[in-house]
Amino acid sequence: MINSSHWVQLYSVQARLKFLNLHVYTVFMLVIQDLVKKYGDFTAVDHLSIALQPGEIFGLLGPNGAGKTSTIATIVSLEEPTSGSVKVFGFEVADSPKKVKSLLGYVPQEIVNHGYFSVEEILKFHSGYFGRLNNKKQIHFLLERLGLMPHKDKKVKHLSGGMKRRLLIAKALVHKPKLLLLDEPTAGVDIELRNSLWEFVRELRDSGVTILLTTHYLEEAEALCDRVGILHQGRLQKVGPTKELIQDLTFRRVQIKTNLSAEDLKKVKGEYSLMGSTLNFKIPSEESLGALLAKTGLPLEAILDISIQEGSLEEAFLNILGRA
Amino acid sequence: MKQKPSSDNFSHLRWNPFLSLLWREIRRYLKVVFQTVMTPLVNSALYLLIFGVSLGSSIQLQSGIPYLAFLIPGLVMMACLNNAFQNASSSIVSGKFSGDVEDWKVVPLSPSQIVWALSFGGLIRGLMVAALTFLVGQVFMKVEIGEYLGIHSPMTLLFFLMIGGLAFAKIGLIAAFYAKTFDQMSAIGAFVITPLIFLGGVFFSLENLSEFWQNVSLYNPMLYFINGVRYAVLGQTDVPLVKSIVVSCLSLVAFHAAAYYSVKNGRFQRW
Repeated sequence: MINSSHWVQLYSVQARLKFLNLHVYTVFMLVIQDLVKKYGDFTAVDHLSIALQPGEIFGLLGPNGAGKTSTIATIVSLEEPTSGSVKVFGFEVADSPKKVKSLLGYVPQEIVNHGYFSVEEILKFHSGYFGRLNNKKQIHFLLERLGLMPHKDKKVKHLSGGMKRRLLIAKALVHKPKLLLLDEPTAGVDIELRNSLWEFVRELRDSGVTILLTTHYLEEAEALCDRVGILHQGRLQKVGPTKELIQDLTFRRVQIKTNLSAEDLKKVKGEYSLMGSTLNFKIPSEESLGALLAKTGLPLEAILDISIQEGSLEEAFLNILGRA
Repeated sequence: MKQKPSSDNFSHLRWNPFLSLLWREIRRYLKVVFQTVMTPLVNSALYLLIFGVSLGSSIQLQSGIPYLAFLIPGLVMMACLNNAFQNASSSIVSGKFSGDVEDWKVVPLSPSQIVWALSFGGLIRGLMVAALTFLVGQVFMKVEIGEYLGIHSPMTLLFFLMIGGLAFAKIGLIAAFYAKTFDQMSAIGAFVITPLIFLGGVFFSLENLSEFWQNVSLYNPMLYFINGVRYAVLGQTDVPLVKSIVVSCLSLVAFHAAAYYSVKNGRFQRW
């Protein structure tokens, strides 16, 4: 399995090729290498290294104060890193902030209230900041796609919470960035809107946009992210493909309802807990049901029902935090 | 494998972000034109009525110019400076409160583009209010003196209004980035800006002050801005024109450097 350190190594190979004047870089949209961010004595981000591949949704997860927002703040130049390197499309953020900013879209956690301006005006100005003065087509596409067209003449203060959040997303996409940073994009939105935003994020990924997402909602990360990195106290505890992480760090719970008598149940092999005539097994995620049944020696005619509960990202997350 | 974008791909970032922010600034005060342009005009009209007409009739200047004519250029410049300052500072302060300013930090706007866009935004508002103040002054001139006030050197007038407006917009920007609260912002206005403008010779001629206060006034850069405008309108000034030009330009350079430093190193996070 390729992990983030491999990507970082590959990136340094790119850097060497660049040194030799061989222009074959930008395998990665974003490379964070050994990033440290301190506020006084408090270390918010502690030697973080991750690399985002093109067209993936990467979830940066962690409890409050884990360093997720500080990491994003350094990528978008809101904060200067204490040490380490952040590169977007091969451009170092500290050296070429203007170029880097033009290549990424950022959705902040908090709602921005734009005072006197209407939704469409805000998008026009924002588009202009990215150098696109005549961008009506993209602005109208976003207004339509995000359901804001009927509200385009309203001021932000007259929008609902969900609309305000959709406006933030529209602003971030107005210049068609190839890298999108979403800081808690669905905080405080209802289930219906959350689902539609998930769908939209997947659409963006499928169209080639690379997405870095921070979220508290592990269900969201599990549903959306191709890979996740778990931060705790500023340190990256684990990184990898979401499914593999769940498989490596969780168990499958198999419940087998039988018609066996208490006497026959005692003959079933393996580790399990018993509830009436129902057997509860906890097996590694990679173990198949067939292997389990073969191991227990349960006759098929004795099985009335089987239910399997797969491990979740939440379980993997708690497992990692428990070990940290 | 994708190619790294060449530097040519970023040419659209040279002027467009600046123009967008400038247009946003102008649109912002035009949205509330009554309070941003008309309200200062009422203040200027009151000054003209109280100082120019009522008290001015008993003031005799050594130069022989009617006090109302002497007052108008000062009020024009005061309107320009005050509004340029107000525009830049209120734009940033309200933006810090709403989170708007944070946007500027995460979009491809350079510190220079932010400084110049806010400076020109403030200047244009300053020029609008200054022009209206001059028109109101002309009405008072016609009614009280019976003739309009001519402009001795229109280009010099435009030069000083531009230098002063840009400089004061930059001061507004510096103050807004420095301020941590609304109270601090209004304190800067009350304790620094207003005294500087009022003591810069809007209402009085340097020749009416004692030698000590004349020497103190020479350290106030507003004196040079205001006297530059007075020369442009009346053809007479308390300070040599060249000296006014040099000090005004040097002040602008110094305020620009400080404004650039404030934007480059200031915090954009919301209050």
